Amino acid sequence: MDSSTIVMLAIFIPFIFAFLVPVASKLLKQRIGWFAVAIALLTLFLILKITPIIVHGDTIYGEIVWLPTAGLTFNVYADGLSVLIGLLASGIGVIIMTYSNGYMSTKEDLPRYYQYLLLFMGSMIGMVFSANTIQLFIFWELTSFTSFMLIGYWNDKPESIYGATKALVLTAIGGLVMLAGFLLLQVITGTFDIPTILHDESMIQAIHGHELFLITLVLIFIGAAAKSAQGPFYIWLPNAMEAPTPVSAFLHSATMVKAGIYLVARIHPLFAGTDAWFILVSGTGMITMVVAGFLAFRQTDIKAILAYSTISQLAYIMTMYGYTTYHEPGIGVAAATFHLVNHATFKASLFLVAGIVAHEAATRDIRKLGGLRKEMPLTFIIACIGAFAMAGLPPFNGFLSKEMFYESSLEMGVALGSPFTLLIPAIAVMGGVLTFAYSIKFIDGIFFGRRQTRGLPEHIHDPPAVMLIPAAFLAALVILFGLFPSIPVHAVVEPTTAGIIREDVELHIKMWHGFTTPLMMTIITFMIGLGVYTKYGAIAAWQDRFNLRYPKISVNYYYDLLVQNAQASARTISSITQPGTVKTYMSALILTVVVLVGIPIILLGADIIPQSLNFDIAVYEVLIMLFMVIAGIAAALLPAYLPAIIALSALGYLVSLLFIYLKAPDLALTQILVETLSTIIFLLVIVKMPQKFRESIPTTTLVRDLIIAGAVASTVFIILINATQGIIPPFESLSHYFIENSITLAGGRNVVNVIIVDFRGYDTLGEISVLCVAAFGVYNLIHSRGNKT
Amino acid sequence: MNNTFLSLTIAILFGIGTFLILRRDIVKVIIGLGILSHAVNVLIVSVGIFDGTRVPILAGSYNEAETTGSVFNDNLAEDILSPVVQAGTHIDYVDPLVQALVLTAIVISLATTAFILILAYRIHEEYGTTDIRELRRLWG
Repeated sequence: MDSSTIVMLAIFIPFIFAFLVPVASKLLKQRIGWFAVAIALLTLFLILKITPIIVHGDTIYGEIVWLPTAGLTFNVYADGLSVLIGLLASGIGVIIMTYSNGYMSTKEDLPRYYQYLLLFMGSMIGMVFSANTIQLFIFWELTSFTSFMLIGYWNDKPESIYGATKALVLTAIGGLVMLAGFLLLQVITGTFDIPTILHDESMIQAIHGHELFLITLVLIFIGAAAKSAQGPFYIWLPNAMEAPTPVSAFLHSATMVKAGIYLVARIHPLFAGTDAWFILVSGTGMITMVVAGFLAFRQTDIKAILAYSTISQLAYIMTMYGYTTYHEPGIGVAAATFHLVNHATFKASLFLVAGIVAHEAATRDIRKLGGLRKEMPLTFIIACIGAFAMAGLPPFNGFLSKEMFYESSLEMGVALGSPFTLLIPAIAVMGGVLTFAYSIKFIDGIFFGRRQTRGLPEHIHDPPAVMLIPAAFLAALVILFGLFPSIPVHAVVEPTTAGIIREDVELHIKMWHGFTTPLMMTIITFMIGLGVYTKYGAIAAWQDRFNLRYPKISVNYYYDLLVQNAQASARTISSITQPGTVKTYMSALILTVVVLVGIPIILLGADIIPQSLNFDIAVYEVLIMLFMVIAGIAAALLPAYLPAIIALSALGYLVSLLFIYLKAPDLALTQILVETLSTIIFLLVIVKMPQKFRESIPTTTLVRDLIIAGAVASTVFIILINATQGIIPPFESLSHYFIENSITLAGGRNVVNVIIVDFRGYDTLGEISVLCVAAFGVYNLIHSRGNKT
Repeated sequence: MNNTFLSLTIAILFGIGTFLILRRDIVKVIIGLGILSHAVNVLIVSVGIFDGTRVPILAGSYNEAETTGSVFNDNLAEDILSPVVQAGTHIDYVDPLVQALVLTAIVISLATTAFILILAYRIHEEYGTTDIRELRRLWG
């Protein structure tokens, strides 16, 4: 199979099978989760199949022409970076869906859950393999949307809805800003195609020199920051923890939040090597890293601690991608990419541990938990591996990438010169210290200390194998990548790095480098970290006090204020424009038409009544019209239903008579039949509807309605007598064609009939469909009666 | 050219229909819709007459059909298009196209009338009233 076809299959298989989940769940019942696992495995296999090509140093491009006239093609592009994230999305997907089989209660709506998970996985894979920015944007918003559905999975909890809304508002707004950035990029380069820009050195030069450079960069970066919860956008991630824990592990730590990182890495070749890139990306990263690490201290929910640590760890990666100078645009790229892989493994395993603890101990409050190491020995070991990797202890993979982080920070500091030589490594160490402290807290708080009895189940034990094995598998990866870093480095990190900085790279990552500066920084980190940990409680308490005293120093405060104001003004506006009475809407519609006709007449100063009027008419026609008016007035004025309906049907029959004089015999015939039918329907309904309500019209209403009715009548009259004043159309009438071809093409003499059944046969088909739909509606309305009484 | 009395009749029917759809009683509103649809149908047909004098049913045998009639004169032949467009000759038929459109409209208005009537009937059954304002109060 063609490799680009494989990529497209990997995108579409999750989507196709997501829609088959409800069908499959009829067969598999509670075991539907294994169906989803199989799909994820298939996807993983497909992406693994193209990995050798990428490792070899090639890229894959393929396209399906979708709408050639509009220049729309569906195209895919695979290089190291996209394969890396694609592998993460499908690989972690397999693990998470397996774990969900144990975590999710069988009472839950499982098909919906797995459907969203598969849709998310497909969107994520679609996003990373998109070869044009518009397609990337569509998949990007699809991941936001599926994330929204998954955070709000328990849609009876107000916290879930709040969290889901917040995530959607922030990431979708970010996405729209990003789209604006993409459009500007198109203005600069003249193309939406990503590989075209990446492979064209002159285009990259053009971007660097363009006056729109800064604004384009800022707009795209806002999208990335919103998705990866960086800068002020971090606030959605802690609230997203209302999602089921496997979802948090999958979307909100390992994959979806990496979309922002992916975007930054993707546009790295376009924008890096400039001061703006360093200040924006690294600056945001460093601030977020320290602030989020600090804020993690006061969290009492174990998932919230992990959420803040995710924000902080993503900021590490962001910072490293931001390290750039003109001569060396990609100082931290290799380190960032490696940390991206490592973070996905250890953070997902920690989330799974949090899920296990919440599942078995029925609480996520770290104040209630404690001393569980004897009861859950296996979980304890997995948690230690994950947390130590996060803290950066050897021999786990987190140690290696943190060393690289320190190394690249040093390099960047030296490149920038004083005073940054010291400042940047110092900030990096600060981030490391905070990470170390909350990592230890996670282990200490759950597994050590005094075992509480109140609020905890009496017997807590390790979970069933279906939950333990996925977590253990991730922990095993953490150790494997730590001891043999060359495995992930060769397979994905090197091709990715090579793709971003566009030259061949060969990385040698070892546990022991000798006694280097980064190692000293690590030792300093651990020493200060232990010191900070002894003050952990005091710092958390100070944060709580500070928050209580200055509630306005918080991003959440402004978000809530904004949302509340928006809701309030929306309510005000809609209560003005949508009062709810049909009468108001009707009056507004009618008056608009009257005004639209009136204004041109007044402005043009046209003669309202034309000079030549045709009063030439036969007596019987006048009589018909007179009767029509009388019947109409009777239908309006007769208070009882029955006489009014008889007057209406009299009007209908008179109309059919009039059609004869208007030389429309077919219409006259139809009108008689239809009028008969509708009179019967009217009477059938009226017999069952005793008239209880008689409207007494107040004088003011009467006057107002009469004025409206008069205005409408005179408007119609003016239009009619002007419109038929022998205006000759400037184009040939379509009707000539019908008259000339009626016999030759359709073999019918009655042109009206030929038009109905032949020339415009599809219109008639539509008309029949309307009748069918109306008949179904009537049938269902009548039968909906039985349900209530 | 349309007859002034005809235009006047159509206009009056429009006025009556408008007055009725502004009422509070659902049944009256439905009657108003019926009157309005009659008025619209007649309006469309009446503007298709132009100066035609014949019903659009063709005469002659199938082999040598008389197909020269047109629905109105155009002045295209006098303008820059004169080389391509032949001068409209004699006016015979009323416009068949508008009649075809109205035929469809009549049938569809039957469908909608039936539907909203049953809707009104069900509303009356559920809420015991046909007063729109009262209904709004009941819905809250």
